[in-house]
Amino acid sequence: MFDLITKLARYNDLMISGSLETLYMVAMALFFAIVGGIPLGVLTTITREGHILPNKPLNFVLDGIINIGRSIPFIILMVAVIPFTRMIVGTSIGTNAAIVPLSLAAIPFMGRVTDNAILEIDQGVIESAQSMGASPLQIVFKVLLPESLPAIILGLTLTAISLVSYSAMAGAIGGGGLGDIAIRYGYQRFQLAVMLETIVILVIMVQLIQYAGNQIASFFDHKA
Amino acid sequence: MIKIENLTKHYHAAQGRVEAINGLNLEVDDGEIFGMIGPSGAGKSTLIRMLNLLEKPTSGTININGTDLTELSSQNLRAARQKIGMIFQHFNLLSSRTVLGNVAFPLEIAGVGKKKRRKKAKELIELVGLSDRADHYPAQLSGGQKQRVGIARALANDPDLLLSDEATSSLDPESTKSVLELLGEIRDEMNLTIILITHEMGVIKDICDRVAVLEAGQIIEDGSIIDIFSKPQKPLTKKFISSVIDFNLPERIIKYVKTERPGELIRVSFVGEKTHDPYISDLVKHYSVDANILYGNIDEIQGVPFGTLVLDLEGQLTNIEESISYLKSQGLRVEVLDNV
Repeated sequence: MFDLITKLARYNDLMISGSLETLYMVAMALFFAIVGGIPLGVLTTITREGHILPNKPLNFVLDGIINIGRSIPFIILMVAVIPFTRMIVGTSIGTNAAIVPLSLAAIPFMGRVTDNAILEIDQGVIESAQSMGASPLQIVFKVLLPESLPAIILGLTLTAISLVSYSAMAGAIGGGGLGDIAIRYGYQRFQLAVMLETIVILVIMVQLIQYAGNQIASFFDHKA
Repeated sequence: MIKIENLTKHYHAAQGRVEAINGLNLEVDDGEIFGMIGPSGAGKSTLIRMLNLLEKPTSGTININGTDLTELSSQNLRAARQKIGMIFQHFNLLSSRTVLGNVAFPLEIAGVGKKKRRKKAKELIELVGLSDRADHYPAQLSGGQKQRVGIARALANDPDLLLSDEATSSLDPESTKSVLELLGEIRDEMNLTIILITHEMGVIKDICDRVAVLEAGQIIEDGSIIDIFSKPQKPLTKKFISSVIDFNLPERIIKYVKTERPGELIRVSFVGEKTHDPYISDLVKHYSVDANILYGNIDEIQGVPFGTLVLDLEGQLTNIEESISYLKSQGLRVEVLDNV
């Protein structure tokens, strides 16, 4: 037992830097998911038939983008976008490079989550805003987003957790973070203890993200 | 004044073309509470939703104070909608905002400054009697309270017209009564025009000045409440009225009449002041007939007494005939019930 702890302590710095890298990748991709995915989701919903700005061609395109983005397995997406990643970051290896495919996966995911969250809003509530003379822009910012905020926050939580697992996959192609450590030390050097430790850290990380997400969502939820 | 001409709404559904409203004409005066009643599927919801163009008419015009809503650009329509309040069956409040936030919402849309918004919203919340609930969220309110918030919200931009889409249909009888009373008070205080749709004749009876009966996308009968209640013409109208005032003889009376074979059965209907005069004792005194009240129903419609009595008149035939013409000459409606 004592032996195991000293063994692990040797890797303390490694684990801390790995965890920070993972958090950094997830946070950056989450940022792009918010900036890109939420508007994508909002536009998809409001251009649906019967919503506030119906536009069949635009809706078809946006819905298609979300579906295509969501149907490519992450490991393939990661490899497929290497040229694009090089173009933006200058390299395809490392933490910064991993943020590109992570964001590309997170944006359509968040788009669908937002779309679903907004669709949950009672049509009557939107109609009442229209009856008061609200413009589509006012409806988006004063009705759709505030009313779906708790659901969007839970969706962000879901996205963050997916990103934690995707970021571990990014480790497979030299993306850095805990996944990278697990593969290099745990798998390639057969250091089972390191492998277990990364798993424990990942589990704790996911638990904390979910807990925080639930707390924030219920803070904004006044439906019950 | 609101003037609707040749209003038509057709739409395509899975079952084919649906003609929701068919060439409807209607005029509503300022300050009037106008009710529209009809069975489900009659087109009343489509009709009221066309009055602020939530539903786009297929053809026809909707004139509100001289402006034809159907001709407005979307920007002008938004401005016009700010002067048309609307309340809904399911309240449609924003769950993310408090009572104060909900009432201030239309003011926010209209671009009113924050301080003014707060002040106006607080006044309206007081008007609807919810001052102690201003910081509550809709989920913490009862149905009746939610509808009061809905009313306060609908009044925020000082509308000329208030549309009520089955506003009391999901409320219990007590809340319904208090919400209707509130609407009546608001009309008197603000000289607002209210158009409401309902499937409950009780709502019409309690607060409307005039009523139109809708069937299959058309108005089949309309008039003042007293006229409609005292002289309904169409079977559907009679059916709605019988839901609040029962004209039919109870089984017990029918059985009695059939077995005992009394004299002449008549039904006397009266409205208003006539209830103060002692007709029946006149009959007995001056026409030597015996009048036995078998069944009766006296109600009040917005302070006007209104009722029917079923009388069994016994005596000589000529006396009975004379007494019937006497009642008629006094302006009462008399119906001889030959076959019960």
